[in-house]
Amino acid sequence: MESYLKNPVGKVIVVGGGIGGIQCALDLADTGFYVYLIEKSHTLGGTMAQLDKTFPTNDCSTCMFSPKLVQVAGHANIEILTTSRILELNGDPGLFTAHIEKRARYINEEKCITCGKCAEKCPKKVPDPFNGELGMRKAAFLTFPQAVPLKYAIDAEHCLYLTKGKCGVCQKICPADAVEYDQKPERLEIDAGAVVISTGFGPALTAKEGEFGYGRYQNVVTSLQYERMLSATGPYEGHLKRPSDGKIPQNVAWIQCVMSRDPARNRPFCSSVCCMHAAKQAVLTRTHGPDTQTTIYFMDIRAHGKGFDDFVDRARSIHGVRYRRSMISQVYLNPENDNLIIETFDHHLNRKKEEEYDLVVLSSGFKPSDGFIDLSKQLGLVANPYGFLTTEFDEPVSTSRPGVFVCGGIESPKDIPETVIQAGAAAAEASILISEARHTETVVEETLEEKPIDAAPRVGVLVCHCGTNIAGVVDIQNVLEDVKRLPHVVFATDFIFTCSTETQQTIVDLIKKHRLNRVVVAACSPKTHEPLFQETLRDAGLNPYLFELASIRDQCSWVHGNNPEKATQKSKELIRASVARSIRLEPLYEKSYPVVNEGLVIGGGLAGMTAALTIADQGFHVHLVEKSDGLGGFAKNLKFTLEGHSPLRLIRYLIERVTHHPNISVYLNSTLVSHGGHLGAFNGTVEKKGERIDIQYGAVIVATGGRPYEPKEYLYGQDDRILTQVEFSKRLLDDPLWARQLKRIVMIQCVGSREPDFPYCSRVCCSAAVKNSLQLKEMNPGAQVVMLYRDVRTFGFKELYYFKARQKGVLFFRYIPEEKPLVYDDSGKLIVDFTDRSSHQDFCIEPDLVVLSEGIRPGEGAQQIARLLKLSTVDEGFFLEAHVKLRPVEFATSGVFLAGLAHSPRFIDESVTMAKSAGQQAMKVLCREKMTTSAAVAEVDAEKCAACLICVRVCPYGAPFINEKGVSEIPPSACMGCGICPSECPAKAIELKHSTDDQLLAKIDALLESAMKDD
Amino acid sequence: MKLSFYPGCSLEGMAVDYARSIDAVFKALDIDLVEIDDWSCCGATAAHSLSEAMSVILPARNLSAAEQMGLDIVSPCANCFNRLRFSQQMIQKRVLDIPWPVTGDLKIHDMTRFLAEPPMIKKIEKRVLKPLKGLKLVCYYGCQMVRPPRITGYTDYENPQTLDRISAATGAQVIDWSYKATCCGASIGIARREIGDSLTKRLLDKARQAGAEAIVVSCPLCQSNLDMIQKGRLERPIPIFYFTELLRLSFSDRGNPKWFKTHFTNPVQLLKTKSLL
Amino acid sequence: MNTLAEDQKSVNQPKPTKKRKLIGDRGDYFLNRIEGETGANVSACYQCERCTNACPVSHFMDIKPHQAVRYVQLGWREDLLKSSTIWVCLSCEMCTTYCPNEVGVAEVINHLRNIAAHSSITPKEKNLAVFHQTFLEVLRKSGRVNEFQLMNAYYLKPNILHEKIKSGSFKEELLLGLTLLRKGRLKPFTSRSKAIKDIQKAYIQARGEIV
Repeated sequence: MESYLKNPVGKVIVVGGGIGGIQCALDLADTGFYVYLIEKSHTLGGTMAQLDKTFPTNDCSTCMFSPKLVQVAGHANIEILTTSRILELNGDPGLFTAHIEKRARYINEEKCITCGKCAEKCPKKVPDPFNGELGMRKAAFLTFPQAVPLKYAIDAEHCLYLTKGKCGVCQKICPADAVEYDQKPERLEIDAGAVVISTGFGPALTAKEGEFGYGRYQNVVTSLQYERMLSATGPYEGHLKRPSDGKIPQNVAWIQCVMSRDPARNRPFCSSVCCMHAAKQAVLTRTHGPDTQTTIYFMDIRAHGKGFDDFVDRARSIHGVRYRRSMISQVYLNPENDNLIIETFDHHLNRKKEEEYDLVVLSSGFKPSDGFIDLSKQLGLVANPYGFLTTEFDEPVSTSRPGVFVCGGIESPKDIPETVIQAGAAAAEASILISEARHTETVVEETLEEKPIDAAPRVGVLVCHCGTNIAGVVDIQNVLEDVKRLPHVVFATDFIFTCSTETQQTIVDLIKKHRLNRVVVAACSPKTHEPLFQETLRDAGLNPYLFELASIRDQCSWVHGNNPEKATQKSKELIRASVARSIRLEPLYEKSYPVVNEGLVIGGGLAGMTAALTIADQGFHVHLVEKSDGLGGFAKNLKFTLEGHSPLRLIRYLIERVTHHPNISVYLNSTLVSHGGHLGAFNGTVEKKGERIDIQYGAVIVATGGRPYEPKEYLYGQDDRILTQVEFSKRLLDDPLWARQLKRIVMIQCVGSREPDFPYCSRVCCSAAVKNSLQLKEMNPGAQVVMLYRDVRTFGFKELYYFKARQKGVLFFRYIPEEKPLVYDDSGKLIVDFTDRSSHQDFCIEPDLVVLSEGIRPGEGAQQIARLLKLSTVDEGFFLEAHVKLRPVEFATSGVFLAGLAHSPRFIDESVTMAKSAGQQAMKVLCREKMTTSAAVAEVDAEKCAACLICVRVCPYGAPFINEKGVSEIPPSACMGCGICPSECPAKAIELKHSTDDQLLAKIDALLESAMKDD
Repeated sequence: MKLSFYPGCSLEGMAVDYARSIDAVFKALDIDLVEIDDWSCCGATAAHSLSEAMSVILPARNLSAAEQMGLDIVSPCANCFNRLRFSQQMIQKRVLDIPWPVTGDLKIHDMTRFLAEPPMIKKIEKRVLKPLKGLKLVCYYGCQMVRPPRITGYTDYENPQTLDRISAATGAQVIDWSYKATCCGASIGIARREIGDSLTKRLLDKARQAGAEAIVVSCPLCQSNLDMIQKGRLERPIPIFYFTELLRLSFSDRGNPKWFKTHFTNPVQLLKTKSLL
Repeated sequence: MNTLAEDQKSVNQPKPTKKRKLIGDRGDYFLNRIEGETGANVSACYQCERCTNACPVSHFMDIKPHQAVRYVQLGWREDLLKSSTIWVCLSCEMCTTYCPNEVGVAEVINHLRNIAAHSSITPKEKNLAVFHQTFLEVLRKSGRVNEFQLMNAYYLKPNILHEKIKSGSFKEELLLGLTLLRKGRLKPFTSRSKAIKDIQKAYIQARGEIV
C-alpha cells in the first residue's frame, strides 16, 4: 500500500462538510497534511447539525458538535470552501488536479461581521430548509447560529434584488459594506494527493411519494423534521407543537421503515439508523411532556449497536414508549381535529382498531444527498444500484477510482460513531498513499517571544457589543463607566465586534500602548472565543494565560433580554469578578517533550494486524504483541462472508505482510506485563515465554478481539446434531456430501445474546445465519431451512441477502424470549417445538440438525489489559470508549486507542475500518516530534501529600501515581485539567493551575461584594 | 373527437341515470361516443373469482370489437375499466389463447381520467353555465378504478385527483378526505349483508365528518351501495351523484328534478337550498 | 447420552396438552404451484402485516391475509381452501398495493378461490360462492348480466330464499326490489348480446385452463 508515485502532493481534498468530512479533515490535518474541505451548502455541519439530541446519553447534538466545528474552523491546515463543488478531477493518485466551482454567496465572507442586520431588514420570507421547511427564514440568512463560516449569505433564488432587481435593502444597511449582488461564481484549480468523498445522505421521502399522507396532511412529518421540532434552535424554539395548529401533541406515533426495506419502491435495503432514531425521539418526547403517549410501529427492532438494546429496553420499560410490531399501510385524517388515524388489526380482539394520533412521524430512510449522482459521474465513481458508494470488505473505504476514498453516509446509511470511525479510516488510506509528503504542505505557526511585564497588574477591559446581541440589551456606556472605576483597570473601551479580524490588530496595539499585562474581554462565551483572544495576546507578546473572558452575552443579554436594567447590572458584576480573578492570574508555560515514534498494538488478529499495518505503512515502527502462537485471531475460522468474500484469504494476506514488514516487530506467545509513562512516551515490558523485553512507544492500540460464546442451552455439547453457526459453516464447506444429504435444519438466533446476563446484541449472527442458509440452499436447494429469530437484524445492504434467503425458501419464524423454542430428543429423534407469532400456531419439527447462532464475547486477554492500562469496560466486558459518538476509537486516557471486537461485536469490514481509524488516531501522536502539555494542569504539593491514593482512584485518565518518594505525582502530559483531584484531595495538596483556589475565591468575593452591599 | 364506448351491464339497469347523464355531457362537450358493437359483459368480479381464464377472455371479446372499430375505448364503470385493462395486459403478455382476433393495442380510458386531462377540464370550464357554488362534495373513487396501480396506471392511488378536478371545474367546493379509495364492500352485501353494510356505513360517516353534503362517484356499484343503504334513514342524508350528473347540472342553466328521480337519497332538496335547481 | 441427557430431556419435554402443527415433508410443491400460476412472490413475505392492517374485511376472515401467505409457504392447501378468507376477500387490492415485497396477496387469494371453486371442497362462505356462480350462469345465458335476472336466479338457488326469510331480511329486500323496479333501475327484460354462442364456446374452452 505504499505510495507508488514519486513526489506525491501533501494535500487532500475532502468533499462534504458533515461530521464525516470534518472528522476526516481533522484526522488528516493533525497528521501533517493540508486539507481542502469542500462543502456545497453555505455552512459545514451536514445532517448532524440538524439533530436535536443524540442517544444513548441524550446529549445535545450541537453542544457535542460545535467544539468540532470551532476546531475545524480555526485549524491552520484546513481550508474551508463552502458553496463549492468539484466539477472535474484529473490526474492520478498522488497528484490530482481538481476544478472547483465556488458559487456566489453575495455577501463577502471577509467583510461580513455577522451583525445580522441584513436578515433583520430583509423583507423576503422563505421556508427554511434547515428546519425542514417548518419555519421561515429570510432571503438573507445564517443557516444556524453555530454555522461555519459564521457569515451571512443571500439566497439567490428568493432575493428580491437578485430575482426582480428590486429592494436592495441589505446592501444599503450593511455596516461592513459586505453585500455584493454582482458576485460571480469562481473557478478554482487545486492540487491534491488524494480525495475523500463524504457527501452524506438525506431523507429519501419527499412529498412526491405521498406515502402516509406526507405532504398532504400537515401533521405528518419526517423524523428529521421532528428533530428540528424538538430542537431549541428549531422552528418552535424547542416547544413541542404540531404544525397544523400549534397544539401540544399528546399522542405521537412513529412509523418505521418508510422508504426502507421496501423492494416495491426499489428501496430494498435497510437504512440502519432509524430504529434507534425513533427510540431516541420517543424518549425525548416523553421527557418533553411526560403525559405524551408515544407509539412506534415497526417490524424488527434493529438495535444492533453497542448498548442499543439496553436503550430500547429502557425506552419501553422506564420511559413507557409503546412498541407495536405491525406495519401500517395508510394514514387517515380526522378532519374535525387534524388528528391522524392509524388502522391496525387487533389479533386479540379480532377486529380492526382505529387509533388517533396528534402527530405522526415517519422514520424516513436515507438516500445519497442531492447532487451526488452528478458528482459520482464527474469523478468516474461506480455507485451501487441505489446510488451509494459501497466498498469491498477488505478495503472498506476505497472507491472504484484509486486515490479516491469514501466515508460516512454516502458509503451506506450509518450513524455518527460509524461515520467517525470510517472517516478516520479514509484519512488513514489517504495518509498512507501520500505519507512521503507528510509535513510538506502544512503551515507551522511560529511562536513569538514573550515580553517582560510590569510587576503591578495593569488590566485592560474590552467590552463587546456583539452587533446588537449585547448592545441591544446591555447599556454598554454605563458598564464602561463602572469598569473604569475598578482597581487596577488602566484602560477600558468597547468594540462592535471584538472578535473581528481587524479588531485583533487593534487589540495588539492597545496592549503594547498601555503596557497591559491582563486582558479581560466582556463578550460572548469562553467556549468559542477564548482560544482566539489568547492567540491575540500571544501576538502582542503577552502570556496567553493572562486572559479572562466575562460571558455577558450568553449569561446576560441572551437570558435576560426582557430586563435590560438587570442585564446591565449583571454584566457589571460579571466583569468585576473577571477583573478580580485576572489580577491573580499568573503566566503559565506549556512544556514539551520528545515523542517516541513507535506504536504498540496489543492483539494480532484482524484488527490488530490492520492497525499495525496502518502505522507501519506510513513509515513508523510498530510492536505487535500477540498472546497465542500465531497471528490471525478468530477471523481465521470464518470461511466466507455474506457477500461471498473469503476472510481466510484476507487473514493470510495480512499475516504475510505483517511478518515481512520491516516496520513491524511481532511478539508471539507474549503478553504485555507492565505499562507506564504517558501520551507520546509510554514504556512497557513484554513477557515472551519467560523472557522480558522492555519497549517504548508513543501510542497504544488495544485490539484484544473477541471469541464465540459456547452455548450451554439447547442440548449443545450433549447431542452432536447441535452445532454452532461457525461449526456449521465450516462443515458445509469441508463436507459437501454431508450438506447435500441434509433434509431439514433449524437455526436458532440470539443464543447467548440479548439475555439478562449478556444484554448485547451480537450484531453479526443474523447475517451469519442468512449467509449459511443461503450457502446450504445453494449446495442443496431441496433442504428446508427454518430460522427462529427474535428480530432479523440484517441492517444496511445486508437486507438484500435476507430478501434473497426468503426468496430461496428459507422460512423465518419469530419467537419471543418468554417462549423460547424447545429442543429435545424424543427416543432418538431430534425435535424442535416453537410457536410462530404471526400465524399463532404451535409447530413441531423434526430436523436433521439444529444450528445455534452463538453470540460474541470479548477476548480472553481483555481483562488483564484493562487492569494493566487502567481502562474501563462495560458490563459485558467490552472496552468503554472515550465518547460513544465522537471518540469511538479512543480511550479517555490519551494515547490509547481501541479497535475491533474489543470495542463491540462487529463485522469484518467494520473491524478493518475501525483498525485503520485507530491506526490513524495513533498517527496523530507518532508523527510528531514533540508533544506540548497544557499548562492548566493539576500539581501536587509533595509537602502536603499524605499518599492517601484518592487522586489515583478518582482520576478518569489514570494520571496520578505514587512516585519513588512515596507521594502522589501527576505528569503534566497525562493530566487533562479536569479538576476532579484538587477538589477531592483531603489535604488540599493538589492545585489546578489557572483555576487556583486563590483565583476562584477572588472571583467569588467580587461577585458577592454587591450582594453584601445590598444587604 | 370520437371514441368507442363500453357502457357495461349496469348502465342498462341500476345505473340508467349514469347512462343518461353521460349521454348529455358528451353531447354537450361535442365528443362522439360510439357504443361498441354487440358488447358483452366483462365478467366482473365473478369471472375473476371463479375462472381466471374467463376473466381474460370475456373482456377480450369487447376489446376485439373495439379494435375492429379502430377507436380507443372509454369506460364509465370502474370495475369494467379494471377488467378491460387486466385483460389487455394479459393479452399483451400472451398468457392464453383468445378465441377472438385481438392485439390489445388500443388505449383504454376510464371516463374520469379522460375528462380530467387539462384540455378537457378547460373545455368543461368553458361549458359550465351555472357553477355549482356552495355545494360541498367529497369525491369517492372506490377500489377498482385506482388499484392495483400496476393495472390501472394510477400512481396517486391513495389520493387520486381526477374526480376532484372535474368536480372543481363545475364550481363545487371539493373537500379532501382520506377515504377516497376505501372499499365500499362491492357486491358482498348481496350474500353477506352485514359485511357490506358495515363498510358502506363507515364511508358515509367519514364523509359526513369531512363536512360533505354529497358524494361524487363514478362507479355504479359504489353508487348503489352508498345510495341504497340510506333508504329510510333520516339523519343527514347524503345524496350520491355520478360525476356526470353534476356536469350535466352545471352545463344547463336550469336543471330538471326528474334527472334525479332514480336516486334513493333524493338530492333535489339539497340542490334547491343551494338554488341549483 | 447418560443421566445428564435424561434430566435435560425431562426438562425440555413439551407439555403434552399442546396441539402442534407438524412441518412436514411435503416440500415446496404447493408454494411453487401458486407462485408459478399467479406470478406472485409469496416467498418474499416478511410477515409485516401491512396486508392484514390494510384489509377492510380482515376481521371476517378466519385466516388473515398475512397468515394466508404463510400458509401458502408451508403448503397448507386444505386449510386455505376451506377458509372463509378466500370468499370474504373483496378483491379491493389494498393488500397487493401496499405490500412492500410485491407478494400479490390479492392475486394469491383470488387464485386460491379459483382452485377452491374447481375442487370438491364445500366453500365455507357458501352464499358468496353461489352468488358468483349465479352471476356467471346469467352471463352465459344472455351475454350480459341483467340485475333483475341475476337477483331472481340467486334467490332461487337452494337455501338462499329460505335463509333470507328466516333472517327476516326477505321482506325488506322484496320492497327494495319493487322500489327499484318502479324507479326504473331494475329492468325485467334485457337486450341479449348476439354473441352468446361465442361466449358459450369460450366457456367450454376455458374449462381446459389450469385451475
